[in-house]
Amino acid sequence: MRAGALSAAAFALATSVAQAQSPEALGWLRKMNQATQRLSYAGTFVYQSAGRTETSRITHYVDASGDIEKLEVMDGVPREIVRTRDTVRCYLPDSRVVKVDRRTERAFPGLLPERIPALARNYDISLGEPRRIAGLDCQGVVLQPKDNLRYGYRLYADRATGMLMSAVTFDANGQDVETFTFTQLNFGNVTRDMVKPRHATREWRIQNTDATPAELGGWRLANELPGFEKVTELKRRLGESRPARQMVYSDGLAAVSVFIEPLDTRRDPVRTGLATMGAIHIYTREVSNHMITVVGEAPAVSVQRIADAVEFRRPQQE
Amino acid sequence: MKDRISALMDGELDDKAAGLALDALASEGEARDTWRTYHLISDALGKSRMLSDGFSERVAAALAKEPTVLAPRRRPAAEPRRWVALAAGVAAVSLVGWLGVAPQQIAVAPVAQAPLQGTQAKPAVVPLPSGTSDYLLAHQGVSPRLSLQGMAPYVRTVSEQVREPRR
Repeated sequence: MRAGALSAAAFALATSVAQAQSPEALGWLRKMNQATQRLSYAGTFVYQSAGRTETSRITHYVDASGDIEKLEVMDGVPREIVRTRDTVRCYLPDSRVVKVDRRTERAFPGLLPERIPALARNYDISLGEPRRIAGLDCQGVVLQPKDNLRYGYRLYADRATGMLMSAVTFDANGQDVETFTFTQLNFGNVTRDMVKPRHATREWRIQNTDATPAELGGWRLANELPGFEKVTELKRRLGESRPARQMVYSDGLAAVSVFIEPLDTRRDPVRTGLATMGAIHIYTREVSNHMITVVGEAPAVSVQRIADAVEFRRPQQE
Repeated sequence: MKDRISALMDGELDDKAAGLALDALASEGEARDTWRTYHLISDALGKSRMLSDGFSERVAAALAKEPTVLAPRRRPAAEPRRWVALAAGVAAVSLVGWLGVAPQQIAVAPVAQAPLQGTQAKPAVVPLPSGTSDYLLAHQGVSPRLSLQGMAPYVRTVSEQVREPRR
């Protein structure tokens, strides 16, 4: 039994090494990347995670000056998010709040096409099975993690356009932890009006995050997590204008943010521990009189290891 | 059957298995004899004062000074055959002969488990922190996944009705 499992693992390893650099699969990732950014489309997708199901509408408008994208959550509390090239605005009509996240290009570590082959350092990337989704024939691509520090992904791209039609996140046991799937999608015929926010927000409260790239002197990880590199450091505000620092670590696809807030601005006591929300884990602890909140779409062990490694070293005085 | 009676005494059976074992005790003469014999041994061991006062505390203190075990470990199954082994010993040697050895096994086993439970690597599970949406909103914006998937992951950001973590 054990020998069988071992040889199966060895076989899986051998085949995955052979497939690790499947050029065709990498090509599909590039197509998804381009389609997401270059196509105009409007569609409905279902998000499922931890027993929660939500239907949302997504609209992407592209013209010569750039692109605008709008997400409307159809179930439960109405919410709407509109992203332009440099700003994300989150409209919460019930509380009459707009959260504005303006960012510079440097602060936005997107997945650039030239970085796609580097994903093979942490994932075995191979072609998956075909599937039909929302009436479109799709090609599967599987990103199998090489260790237990990241989730795996099954992605399905429309064969004709490369559009990502379904994304499934799975854990080390092969269990799905989160899925996004389009149930309906139309390409083209998107007008600028369709991506405008539907709310007049003149009297709403505006929460500005003021995110700016910054060197966070003194804060660092005692041990970096294998495969995760620091991609950006920001100063920002959270919620009602609480000052915070944010360090972001990524393996090229998954990201983990470390938020650092001085304790004196918080009234709630820090509750050390792990919270889970589908594929997202949040670990909170206290370091050097600061509250550390680590948020990531990564397994609990990764989020906790990063949180445990956060330390403050007083910068050398001149 | 003897194993199950031993496990029942140690509180190691689940409700269903314990129910079956108790049924057996009610009906079978041999099972009842075993049960009585084991309790006799247990009583004899429990009443014997072979250990000096404060022995358990000193063992616990010594263990606390040991290097911390970080690896998560299941609560060790506490020697399911203990009573069986003792019964065999009673038959082969004598009850008195065993008393010098056995109490240590029994006294040390539960104490040794205590520090392990305090060093589990498994973190405390807490509710989502206040302002979770703000963290998620700030985090989503820097995830490389946006380039592949557009804004869909932002659906995680904004849900104000997230449930408590399910356990």
